[in-house]
Amino acid sequence: MSRILVVEDEQHLAEGLRFNLEAEGYQVEVVDTGEAALERLLGQSQIFDVVVLDVMLPGKSGFTVVAEMRQAGQFVPTLILTARGHSDDVLQGFASGADDYLTKPFDLTILIARIQGLLRRREWLRNAQPVQARNNINDNQFTFGDKSVYFDLLELRVREQVFPLTLMEMNVLRYLIQHEGKPVSRKTMLEEVWGLHEDTDTRAIDNFIVRLRRYIEVDPTKPQHLLTVRGVGYRFEAFPAKRD
Amino acid sequence: MIGTGRKKSIAFFIALGAGLILVIILLYVGWVLLGWHRGILLFLGALLLALIIAGIILNTTFLVREIRRNEQHDAFINAVTHELKTPVASIRLYVETLQTRTLDETKRNEFYNIILSDSDRLLGSIEQILRTGRVGSSSRKPHLVPMNLAEAVKECVARARILYHVPPESMEYEPGPPLPIQGDYDEVRAAVSNLIDNAIKYSGNDMHVEVSASGVEGKYAEVRVKDRGHGIAQTELKRIFKRFYRVQGPVATRVKGTGLGLYIVRSVAKRHGGRAWAESAGSGQGSTFVIQFPMAK
Repeated sequence: MSRILVVEDEQHLAEGLRFNLEAEGYQVEVVDTGEAALERLLGQSQIFDVVVLDVMLPGKSGFTVVAEMRQAGQFVPTLILTARGHSDDVLQGFASGADDYLTKPFDLTILIARIQGLLRRREWLRNAQPVQARNNINDNQFTFGDKSVYFDLLELRVREQVFPLTLMEMNVLRYLIQHEGKPVSRKTMLEEVWGLHEDTDTRAIDNFIVRLRRYIEVDPTKPQHLLTVRGVGYRFEAFPAKRD
Repeated sequence: MIGTGRKKSIAFFIALGAGLILVIILLYVGWVLLGWHRGILLFLGALLLALIIAGIILNTTFLVREIRRNEQHDAFINAVTHELKTPVASIRLYVETLQTRTLDETKRNEFYNIILSDSDRLLGSIEQILRTGRVGSSSRKPHLVPMNLAEAVKECVARARILYHVPPESMEYEPGPPLPIQGDYDEVRAAVSNLIDNAIKYSGNDMHVEVSASGVEGKYAEVRVKDRGHGIAQTELKRIFKRFYRVQGPVATRVKGTGLGLYIVRSVAKRHGGRAWAESAGSGQGSTFVIQFPMAK
């Protein structure tokens, strides 16, 4: 269930929003000051999926709140809902870091549609994120199918089998995993992995790929993960079945 | 940011005015020293000079005042936007809710009441804005009739008690002897109501308001509204009666308003030949607002 934080000091509006959003199946929390909103958002991050924020609040204004949120690294989708509809205000809202802006009085169905839009965007990002997160160098492990790569241990484990990799093999593999799904040219790999800028024979890389395929691929002659991109280089595909 | 920019431009205009005056005085002193023997011309020159200086001072004063007013006007537009659009947004939201969702009887009634109270609030804001236009124009004279101020105050207190659900012990009012004045009934009521509304609005949760109406030396009939709220700084006591003026700071952002209420109070007092003022021992000491009308003979 998606959680929505409503920051609104007009009690009637706040309760009306709560009622309708709850009727839509969201979990709603209402606070009536910018300070309280910041406390809720910066205290335990990630607990809200969308923030609906008023501007003319007692104490800190909505613009300040969203700017401080962003500064503190809280990037929860935020919709500003305010009576101020002048273009200067709208621009200030977006400049402060808001994702959407809606003026009061508003159409309830449109507000709900926009909230759904923000939630959908968040969902898409979330689905895309795990691969990216696992590709992160700080993350020492990457799993695809029944294979796991342990970057710092220089090991590739396929089911119960453990293949020790050399440092260079691991670097090539890591580089390809980081650029998962995208073709990587031999030249850029040489530059990025080996740090070479001369016109070295880029075919040297092919030997590494051949060896990596022997570990990773079920049938090295018909690669599923380490694919050749003709005329360019290679592409790593973590979940080849999904592409077909 | 806009605020500081304006402050800078105000400082610039003041400096420019002062600078010009200084230059003129220096030039003139020099001219006197060189040409002291031409007596009549000297006198004429002094006269013209005084005129020019007065003109510059006047010009600078007007400019600064205009800039200030403009600044307040922006704040006023924001406040009015909020005061008018918020109830409409709320009414719209609840009507849409009633239209699209199936609700039980109690919920429906609750929503109807909210819509009703928001339309009252909207009407109140609209009346306040319209009244500002009326009491501010000198061409529209108040419709003066003999009336009893004590009776009007009693009605205002009763209205506020119902409107804001004030418990009896939080608002004290001792009905006194009749106070005959020549007044525009509608305007007098609006002024007294504004004072009572303010006292309630700015009192916070711990509300205690005392309202009294009495005669002063048989000449004036006055209404005093005393609260135990935040109080008012000495420097703000006069300014708060200006049109659009709102005290800066946390209190004013917590309590919403257009900055018209006290302007209406003062304008109504003036139109009736009376006056209005505020007393406060300072921040946190509560405040007393007084409006005086001349007693009818």
